[in-house]
Amino acid sequence: MKFKTFAAFVAPSVVMMLLFIAAPLVSVFLQSFYLTQPVIETVEVETCTPGFLEQTCATALRTRPVLDENGKVQTTTTFVGLQSYRNVLEPARAWDAISGFDYGALMGIDFWRALRFTLTFTFITLPLVILAGLAIALAVNNTAKAFRGQVIFISLLPFIITPVIGALSIRWLFVGDGILTRMIEGWTGEDIAVFAQGWSIELLMLFYRVWHVAPFAFVVFYAGLQGVNRDAVEAAIIDGASRFERLRYVVIPHLMPLIVFIALIHLMDAYRVFEEIIGFRSEAHVISLQYLTYDLLTPDDAGNRSVSRASASAMLTMVGIVILLIPLLRRTWRDHRGAH
Amino acid sequence: MAEIQLRDITKRWGSFFGVKDLNLTIADREFLVLLGPSGCGKTTTMRMIAGLEDATDGDIMIGGQRVNDLDPKDRDIAMVFQSYALYPNMNVYENIRFPLKVRKIPGAEHDERVKRAADMVELGEFMHRKPSELSGGQRQRVALARAIVREPNVFLMDEPLSNLDAKLRVSTRAQIKNLSHELKVTTIYVTHDQIEAMTLADRVVVMERGLVQQVGTPTEIYDHPANTFVASFIGSPAMNLMQGTGTGGVFEGANVRIAGLTGPDGPVTLGFRAEDAAVGGGAEITAPVYTLELLGDATMVTVKAGGALVSVKAPKDFRAEIGDEVAISIPAGICHLFDAQTGARLETA
Repeated sequence: MKFKTFAAFVAPSVVMMLLFIAAPLVSVFLQSFYLTQPVIETVEVETCTPGFLEQTCATALRTRPVLDENGKVQTTTTFVGLQSYRNVLEPARAWDAISGFDYGALMGIDFWRALRFTLTFTFITLPLVILAGLAIALAVNNTAKAFRGQVIFISLLPFIITPVIGALSIRWLFVGDGILTRMIEGWTGEDIAVFAQGWSIELLMLFYRVWHVAPFAFVVFYAGLQGVNRDAVEAAIIDGASRFERLRYVVIPHLMPLIVFIALIHLMDAYRVFEEIIGFRSEAHVISLQYLTYDLLTPDDAGNRSVSRASASAMLTMVGIVILLIPLLRRTWRDHRGAH
Repeated sequence: MAEIQLRDITKRWGSFFGVKDLNLTIADREFLVLLGPSGCGKTTTMRMIAGLEDATDGDIMIGGQRVNDLDPKDRDIAMVFQSYALYPNMNVYENIRFPLKVRKIPGAEHDERVKRAADMVELGEFMHRKPSELSGGQRQRVALARAIVREPNVFLMDEPLSNLDAKLRVSTRAQIKNLSHELKVTTIYVTHDQIEAMTLADRVVVMERGLVQQVGTPTEIYDHPANTFVASFIGSPAMNLMQGTGTGGVFEGANVRIAGLTGPDGPVTLGFRAEDAAVGGGAEITAPVYTLELLGDATMVTVKAGGALVSVKAPKDFRAEIGDEVAISIPAGICHLFDAQTGARLETA
């Protein structure tokens, strides 16, 4: 294909990516080094209280935002370097907590608390999603053809449900007098409060994410299984390989590019965990990095947003994703080069 | 001892018969070729012997033991596939070693056995290459080495040369023949290529539509085909088959009259091989040339006779124009007679 033709095909996509991905990214990156604050002035305010013969007046110094001619708060933007990152990471507090082996203190810092949950969530759901997807795909692949359609449909249902609705549904099953809570209470004879502890909420979140995403992995793996070299599997059977050895030496290597693909997609997705925090209303117990950014962007009582810290938090989230993806991308690149 | 016996073997899918009532005994160390067109049941037969397909009916005996209910790994067989069926993620060494590894054969033996098998197929220098870095012929040799390394009682080869180009096919065929001679292991070889069958086999089984048409040595199959199917399947070109009528030892059809035969009277199919007849010298067929093909070592002359195109090998310097009248000599002794209805061979007195 001529370069001109290639460019003509690719240009619209490149423009869109520059406009909607690269530009916002650069903007957030720059904003993380600047601090925008309202211009505050200090004024002397005299407060008078009416009295019997004369009023009593007192003066006090007050700060207030400066308004422009349209009545809007004036703001000023200053370059603060890495200050916003320091505000998010709180390195001094974090170091004190780490050097003092004070886990509780470290978890008292929002960023580290969010990072702990985000990493836990990502690394526990990743293998579970891959294993569950692979198990369902193998089961469906071995199901009689007559039932395959129905089994595929049922297996895909969790993926069709909107994430927040799915999370809310699970919450309603377990919250307070939820059906499942009542059932468990009936079996155990004890009062159960699933949403009273962080760990039980985390477990539900992990379960929900695996339940929701495994069907995607299943569909991809099932498609991959259709391409497994039947002769190679039969050769392994004759060579004496057990079912597990055939899976290990023939099927898994064949699916490896798809496993890497699912891992890439899932790492990116899980590291941005957000819906579960909202759906399960877990803010009091666990938060994620994405939620932290959202929280910083939520206006406070005075209507101010911590845009600079939110930008720093977003950039740190992105850096985290990139670090997690590097080994997989290296592998993909190596395979790609090896294929040529 | 690995004599293989197939007793009344049938493979049926619903009402369709893949293989029907197959009875066959393959002697220990025999090289048997299952030959036939696509869908004739040859691969199904091999897969039943391997245990990759269950026989609907009948018994499969290997070394005197009924193996119908044994897993493939327990039948002591090795198989070579048309598509090589190598493990793409493993290098040549690991591919050859795989059967030893999964069968838990002591690791100390692996290296020596793998090297010996690789040397037998001249792969010693490619041990660290992945299958994707090998040519088709080299890949098939890896598959052969993987089969050899376990020293099984039976080799099954499912069209192992079909994916190779013509030149490689000849050299790999020679290598298989040599290996078979060296290893002296019972071998069942499936092919649709009658040249492979003729060159490799101790005996050939010709199959069509799930039924055995003829079992015999390559010479028997070539010289005494059991029916018109075998006659038309074996040989290049295939045997000429003409429709006509036999009357008092004389066969007559369109453009053809052959005397001196000893077959029955009535409608018959007469066959002869292109190299047995000659252009000129007689006039059993007199017809215009339909086409003329220069083969290098001979010239193939084709005419229309007995309701079919009939080819005869002429000397390499023979030349004629299309439409020129030629006379073809067909001695009665080279002729084969077949029943016009059933196609079965008619034994001539």
